[in-house]
Amino acid sequence: MKAICLASAMTIVLLLSVTIAFRFDPRKQRVRQGTTLYLACLVVLIAVWATTPDDLGFLPPWVLATPSWFDLMLSLFFFTAAFFGGVLQLYNLADRGFSLRILIDAFEQPSGAVGAEQLLAGYGGGQGVKWMYDKRIHGLLEGDLVRRMEDRFVLTPQGIGVADMFIHIRRFLKLDRS
Amino acid sequence: MAWSPAIAAFVTAVAWFGVFILAHIFGWRAGHGNAPWLLTTYLASLVATLASVVGLAAWTSSGFLLPIVLALMTSACLFVLYVPAVYTVLTSLSVQTLVMLRRRGGALSATELYERFASRAILDERLATLAASGYLIADGERFRLTLRGRGLARAFAFVKASWKLGPGG
Repeated sequence: MKAICLASAMTIVLLLSVTIAFRFDPRKQRVRQGTTLYLACLVVLIAVWATTPDDLGFLPPWVLATPSWFDLMLSLFFFTAAFFGGVLQLYNLADRGFSLRILIDAFEQPSGAVGAEQLLAGYGGGQGVKWMYDKRIHGLLEGDLVRRMEDRFVLTPQGIGVADMFIHIRRFLKLDRS
Repeated sequence: MAWSPAIAAFVTAVAWFGVFILAHIFGWRAGHGNAPWLLTTYLASLVATLASVVGLAAWTSSGFLLPIVLALMTSACLFVLYVPAVYTVLTSLSVQTLVMLRRRGGALSATELYERFASRAILDERLATLAASGYLIADGERFRLTLRGRGLARAFAFVKASWKLGPGG
């Protein structure tokens, strides 16, 4: 249970750190910024785990995980899942979520409703749906997955590898049957 | 050497999560709807995990609380790592762009890409998905937020404001 207590406490610290960093020192690469904070918190978590007693001074003996090394491993696993499955996903959804942005656009309307025609130009608080796709293309260019050649977008060798991987996965899952 | 209750609970949760992934993938291949099938198979694996952990604890006469909490936490952590991967394959427009480019010989004009992915059709598609998931309800030509959709929109609007993310999306 020490693992759960420490990982939960460190997740709260991480969330606060990310909030402070994003609000007061926003970087262009927020994922990298968040990951740096996660790694810093991971080091602190290991240090706190190593310097505190197994029962943290209040846990009863029947909730202590043994062996001790396994408790540390659990702590790292819970904290890592909280970052990659929690904080990072929250950021991805809030910053990149297409569906979520549609819901927020509806939420920001006095009527609480939106239509496709209205979203074409008004998606993303008035940015328009072209802007949404510009962001995706920009991400693909930055990740060196596609290259722009005049008016065409061309897959890079890296992009071909990633595309092939997803094509195999989609084929295996029979996603493109219709 | 016997495993400690903590290790046994962790391994049990991981094993049942493996069974869940197999069931989810094979159901998916068989044409089951993704979200309901995902939840059904996950809940079934969670029940199986709990039953196994309680059975193991009773058999070894160890306490119940620690193995149950550890197994639930382990399963929940694996789930939050698995679901984003699923939705990347299913809905990511970046992934769909790469796949479309590859299938069309590795190159496409900007016009073709924007006509496919920044079009009225993609909005119609996504609005229909949101309505089918219960976040929006059709109201003539428009779509109105349901109570569930409003709650989700409010929560994420709060996150966006707290993290100063700008318009996003």
